[in-house]
Amino acid sequence: MKISALFFKAILAGAGWWLALCGCTNAAAPQAIDRAALTTKSSIIFSGTVSQLAATSFPDVPKSPQTIVVKVDSVAKKPAAVSLKKGDSVTVEVKDASGFQEGTRATFYTDGWIFGSGVAVKELGHELGAAAEPVRVGSAGNPAAPGQDRISDQELLDRMKASDFVVVGRVTDVRKWNAPKPKSGAPLRVTEHDPDWREAVVEVQSVLKGGKVKGNKVIVRFPNRDDVAWVNSPRFAKNQRGIFCLNRDQSTGAPTTTMGGHEVNAYTCLGHGDALPISEEARVRSLLKNQ
Amino acid sequence: MKAVALSRLRFLASARSTFPGLPLLALLPILTAGFLARGQSPVPPSISVVNLIPASLSGESNQDSEPFLAIQNQNPQVMVASAFTPNPFSMTGNAPVYVSQDSGKTWVLNAITPVQRMTCDITHAMATGENHPRGDLHAGTLACASGIILDESESNDVSLSATMNVQSTRGNVDQPFVRALGVASGDRIYVGLNDFNIANGRTATIDVSVDGGATYKSIPIETRKTAGQDGPSVRPAVANDGTVYAAYFGWRKFDGKTATSDIVVVRDDAAATGANPFQVLKDPSDKLPGRIVAKRVSIPWSNAPAMGQERIGSTLSIAVDPNHSGTVYVSWADKGSKGDIYTLHVRSSTDRGVTWSKTDLPGTTIHNATNVALAVANNGVVGLLYQQLAGGRWVTHLMQSHDGFNTARDFVLATVPADQPVGQFLPYLGDYDYLLSVSNEFRGVFCANNTPDFANFPQGVTYQRAADFNAKTLHDGSGNPVPISIDPFYFSVPVIP
Repeated sequence: MKISALFFKAILAGAGWWLALCGCTNAAAPQAIDRAALTTKSSIIFSGTVSQLAATSFPDVPKSPQTIVVKVDSVAKKPAAVSLKKGDSVTVEVKDASGFQEGTRATFYTDGWIFGSGVAVKELGHELGAAAEPVRVGSAGNPAAPGQDRISDQELLDRMKASDFVVVGRVTDVRKWNAPKPKSGAPLRVTEHDPDWREAVVEVQSVLKGGKVKGNKVIVRFPNRDDVAWVNSPRFAKNQRGIFCLNRDQSTGAPTTTMGGHEVNAYTCLGHGDALPISEEARVRSLLKNQ
Repeated sequence: MKAVALSRLRFLASARSTFPGLPLLALLPILTAGFLARGQSPVPPSISVVNLIPASLSGESNQDSEPFLAIQNQNPQVMVASAFTPNPFSMTGNAPVYVSQDSGKTWVLNAITPVQRMTCDITHAMATGENHPRGDLHAGTLACASGIILDESESNDVSLSATMNVQSTRGNVDQPFVRALGVASGDRIYVGLNDFNIANGRTATIDVSVDGGATYKSIPIETRKTAGQDGPSVRPAVANDGTVYAAYFGWRKFDGKTATSDIVVVRDDAAATGANPFQVLKDPSDKLPGRIVAKRVSIPWSNAPAMGQERIGSTLSIAVDPNHSGTVYVSWADKGSKGDIYTLHVRSSTDRGVTWSKTDLPGTTIHNATNVALAVANNGVVGLLYQQLAGGRWVTHLMQSHDGFNTARDFVLATVPADQPVGQFLPYLGDYDYLLSVSNEFRGVFCANNTPDFANFPQGVTYQRAADFNAKTLHDGSGNPVPISIDPFYFSVPVIP
């Protein structure tokens, strides 16, 4: 019996060692995760302590075995509009709830989910034990001006990947552009979303993505209307310098234009973050280099 | 600080203003008797006005304009509202809707629409034919990232985070307006829209699905020559017996600033399931389908601020008595009389749209007003929601009448400065707001300046977001000030007896 007891204790000790090792492995999760990539992808990053399992922190969030409640210790990144601070309880829908116990401390890399009397998020990744290092507190305590939200690295990277050209350039002229009249008998197209197109002539100073630009100039069409449809579209002004994500015009129905007597492709620059100030050049080059 | 007003007292005060000769206590038996006579709750529901922005988004200052509302009629504590509210955490995430599961007391934001970041038009309806207690939400959304794309989509459970299932997609259309009716065989969905794909310029169209959105059929409803297109607003209305009406602006002339337009109503008696829907209502003048309620009215068109900071050009509403489908109301705005910018009119028909009142119903020629929305309650009372620019303020009214506006009660829901905040885009408040009826309530949504000031909300108001009503300021939940902006507001007002 004595031997058996010793043997049993040895097994338990071995199991404990393995558990501890697993715990260490888990605790050493930063080595296993790509913190930089998670930080880029995450819209909300915070450190906290798990207070409830299979629970939610406010009504209207669907409760499941994957939802846990975490009391926030510190916030490393969040959108300006989101109210989240130390002491708040957050619902986290985790990928694998078995990795958490009440009292577990972790840093959560997350995306938003449901916003009510509290915040619910979905886990993209986590690091056990470690407190979140300040990443970029997204204007916490300093709400961003409307429409001035900074495009995230991931979103900018995605946007650049979808662009035909990414150029550094200067706007040399802006002019009104009327889309060709429809054929006789075709319907009018008067809507509250009419774009009131303008054309900007952009002198290309360097091409960050895409081939050589003929004549180092491109025509970029943009909406001048204040309608909601175009609220996130960049506007161009003469002498404006910046980085521009351009796509061949598939919006106006007239994909080409003339420049210097030659027919050339026309481009559009319509999305949020498609026109960045020249101060973003280093960030853009870094993202393109490291993609 | 949360603000909850003494709404019932204010309801009584409002009622008292309608019957100034009666003391307040004398009104109590009248009101109570009225509610009891119809077998409703012995305690009449009180008026409530709720700012939709959740507490956890207290830092936002977007222009959350152009509201809409859907109610799950079999489970009316479940509602979905929408506005031009962007995804709060991602430039590329889904555009959100507001969801309430407690009859509008609280709302959460759930990013489930199929559109990236923010829609540029969204309307929706919840039908009850498929037995989903938190569905089926049928939405028409426009995405405007590059070109304008309509998605007609569905959610079986609006409390979940699953993106709505897109059932139909097409381009080159404007202003989808969704109504739905649940029947045992599945949901019937009617989407009014202006379809620029129609080569002859007769663009007023209803997209009809009689199989819960699995398939849609586009039905042009304009039968007359147009100025090249019809106006943007095409509005369906559905009665419980399957009668479907639609109203539209038949543009006969357009010079860029003014549309000369007929106000036209079509009807279908078989839920638009037949081979040639919307043909039954013919105008005596030309025998063509589409009864002309008002002929060649002048409607100003301005895609720039024209009334306060708001644009004008296409406000239209139609409502049918849910239980007596022969009674139907239509309202629109036109240039009105000299000196007016935009004047509302309400007309009615009690013979299934065959004949219409030749003049506006009493008291419904309303100057300098827009965003009209009509609804008819189960007891036949008609509700008229509108927003009027008066004395430098946007004043949101809900009028109710049980006798075709011979008598009416007017509830002012909000009166806010019209010059603040400065608009971020158009529409400033919205090209529409919305009104529905359920049980003994009118429920609706409107947008307004969100300054936390009780004087701006005569019926009282509740804010979910962080607000200091003493200092009349917003903050982000951590004490930092937040600029005022346009917010959506939900309201519930008891239907008058």
